[in-house]
Amino acid sequence: MSETSPARPSLWVRYTSSSPLVVTFFALVLGLAFGALVIVTTTPAVLDAWRAIFHGWNGLPHALNLTFNNVGAAYRSMFTGSVVDPQGLWHSITTGNGWTNTLTPISETLTYATPLVIASIGVGIAFQTGLFNIGANGQAVTGGIAGAVVGSMLHMPEIVHLPLTLLAGIAGGMICGAVPGVLKAYTGAHEVIVTLMFNYVTYAFLLFMVLSTPFQQPGQQNDIGRTMDHSAQLAPLFGTSSGLRVSYGVFVAAAVVVFAWWLLNRSSLGFDFRVTGANPSAARASGINARSVIVVVFLISGGLAGLAGVVQVASTTHYVDGGFLIGNAGIGFTAITVALLGRNRPMGIVWSALLFAALGVGGRNMQATTGIPLDLATVIQSAIVLMVATPVLVKEIFRLRSAETTTVQLATTGWGS
Amino acid sequence: MSLVDATAATRVAIPVKNRRTRVIAVIMGLFGVFTVFVFGFGSTSGAHSSFTFNPINLANAPWRVGSLTVVTRWTDVVLGVVMVALATEMFLRRPRRGVMARFGFVAVLFLLGLLFWAARTPGPSPTSSVNITAILVGSSAAAMVLIFGSLSGVMCERSGVVNIAIEGQFIGGAFLGSMIASTTHDFFFAALGGLFVGGLIGLVLAFLSLRYRSDQIIVGVVLVTMLSSLSSYLNLQVFTPFPNFNTGILAPNLPIPLLSKIPILGPVFFNQSGFFYVMIVLVAVVSFALFKTRYGLHVRAVGEHPRAAATVGISVIRVRYINVVLGGAIAGLGGVAFMATQGQFQVGYTSGYGYIALAALIFGRWRPSGAVVASIIFGLSVYLSYNLVTYNVPISLYILQMFPYLITIAVVAGLIGRVRAPAADGQPYLRD
Repeated sequence: MSETSPARPSLWVRYTSSSPLVVTFFALVLGLAFGALVIVTTTPAVLDAWRAIFHGWNGLPHALNLTFNNVGAAYRSMFTGSVVDPQGLWHSITTGNGWTNTLTPISETLTYATPLVIASIGVGIAFQTGLFNIGANGQAVTGGIAGAVVGSMLHMPEIVHLPLTLLAGIAGGMICGAVPGVLKAYTGAHEVIVTLMFNYVTYAFLLFMVLSTPFQQPGQQNDIGRTMDHSAQLAPLFGTSSGLRVSYGVFVAAAVVVFAWWLLNRSSLGFDFRVTGANPSAARASGINARSVIVVVFLISGGLAGLAGVVQVASTTHYVDGGFLIGNAGIGFTAITVALLGRNRPMGIVWSALLFAALGVGGRNMQATTGIPLDLATVIQSAIVLMVATPVLVKEIFRLRSAETTTVQLATTGWGS
Repeated sequence: MSLVDATAATRVAIPVKNRRTRVIAVIMGLFGVFTVFVFGFGSTSGAHSSFTFNPINLANAPWRVGSLTVVTRWTDVVLGVVMVALATEMFLRRPRRGVMARFGFVAVLFLLGLLFWAARTPGPSPTSSVNITAILVGSSAAAMVLIFGSLSGVMCERSGVVNIAIEGQFIGGAFLGSMIASTTHDFFFAALGGLFVGGLIGLVLAFLSLRYRSDQIIVGVVLVTMLSSLSSYLNLQVFTPFPNFNTGILAPNLPIPLLSKIPILGPVFFNQSGFFYVMIVLVAVVSFALFKTRYGLHVRAVGEHPRAAATVGISVIRVRYINVVLGGAIAGLGGVAFMATQGQFQVGYTSGYGYIALAALIFGRWRPSGAVVASIIFGLSVYLSYNLVTYNVPISLYILQMFPYLITIAVVAGLIGRVRAPAADGQPYLRD
């Protein structure tokens, strides 16, 4: 018996084996490497240098130097734009001045991460149930619209107005999430197509709203909605005068994290969710009503995405416009990758949301300082997630010792019948 | 599979099927009633609608077809009554076959009724007549792209791999296609580029989902995210500083002698770009290959029951690799075709056609011919949703633009369960 049961592996073996954390780390390395490759192959100066490596004795060193300079500058500006600029930090510590500038990057990252955490947890809960809510962006848009409508067109004291605005956002997201859920539960329509189509429907709805009379900003011809009352806004955490945008929304996000942890790990409803996700037939055999689970999950998932939308509006711009959450910058799309990276667990999602928020915010700084487009951040994010979704590939590339196969547990295959 | 899996579906198959048919019938009936009361009685009694059929560019058309003028109200009422009659028949008889054909027919009648109504002459429309030929030519562009996409879906899903990345292959094909067409002014090379990039994305999808058995839908969706952000990145990094790479060159029309002179059909089918003809050939080739050749039999076997296929010596993984790469290449070509009809590459301008193509595939019951019919209906609705504005329809442009997507949702919701996907669609295959 002692021959068959393996001995407890040493610490080194465990850390070089493919534990999820190690795989994630190497996925990050690969993602950043892929981003570097993209930078190098699309920067004309670097390409010219590589073309000229045989033109002189210093051709190759020059090319390498230029490559590292460009990639280094890009990633350095990403870091200083999203975490902290070491020089600025040193300056602030030694002189006691300039704290606003020093803290702005981390405040921006937190501002961006706040709605991202909320939306990603919504997506993650759906994933844990085996449902793919790819329409989080559309739900965030309807949530943002609903919140902006309540926040700007109703007037009341803050103690009522802010909660009501947030609730309106949740309701807006829920409405948009309920439709795919009900259709999935009662007709079997695959949630991927339905939620995706809703992203386009809600975008058209957004343009309709911000361009038509009651909601359009008065006196405006452009696609811009009304501004929320102060009583409906999420105030900056350190006061308006601090110049830092990070808002009380972080407490909303923290509450959502706690709620999700409780729901998934401590409540019987969450148990039903996870059983349904892990093994639908076992769930059915044990008397779990699959239909109501699907609908409830989509309500929660959509509601959280809607909350993310309204938090985004209430803590940053305070109005929605035609560009709200558009394209790759949409938190609902990033939320999918964040949830996958965080393995759909609340705390994992917090860390990965912080990471992807840093990539996004840093990408903005990179675009400003080096001219490399912000979209590189999304490219890196999707490369990371492709790797995380394929842990075996990462193991093979880095010759990691094979522990038990760690896959992102999912049951989103096929069109259903 | 997932939550409503096969066992449950077979257990409750009959009642669900019957109820579903009736739900679809009710929806069809509502379309009819809407046509009667909103389009029919919503227009003033004296209103009439006229249609012309001559192509806009009359230079190479030696023929002219007279215009057709009808009384709006009664035409729409008749259309609506036909729709209601079809719906009633379906509600009562609950036919086992032809449900989708009836639904598609009603959808076309509805669009027709909408056109009659939009073009009524004492009405808001600034133009006095509707040019049917122009509408057909316009929607053929959208339909063509959707057909490319759904053919790609047929290729992949018949072998058991869900290709959600069609949208990404469109983007990749459109991007590279625009770059190559703008620099070489030759759409042959652009098409090759599209085939290459689409096939490459297909290869990545196949590699990750077949070799490493990753979730196909997740890989597909992340690939689309990557392609759309990469195209946005490259658009800023390459196309903005070098506009010569993205001049928005359009593929020239290649009129087929004689045939292109046929009234109405000529401009729609025989005076198109090369991509259109390639598309028609591809439909025929894929249909033939899938249903009449030995390889096609292998593909379908792999898609339905990979284990059984493997038992008789078919290499499941190899068949899937080939089909996913070929399917990806077809979608990439579709991206080039899209670019060749729309012009200049813009970020996000495929606006979800790849996903609509998937819905067309479902509507068409995973058959090339069905996918073609579905793509034509979707193409018509996409085109009309953007062009009804020119008739001053009292509906917001943005509300109209929701329609293709809402129709897609309705189709997917109404038809899944009625139509059967290849049994192994989306399932990873374990070789042991």
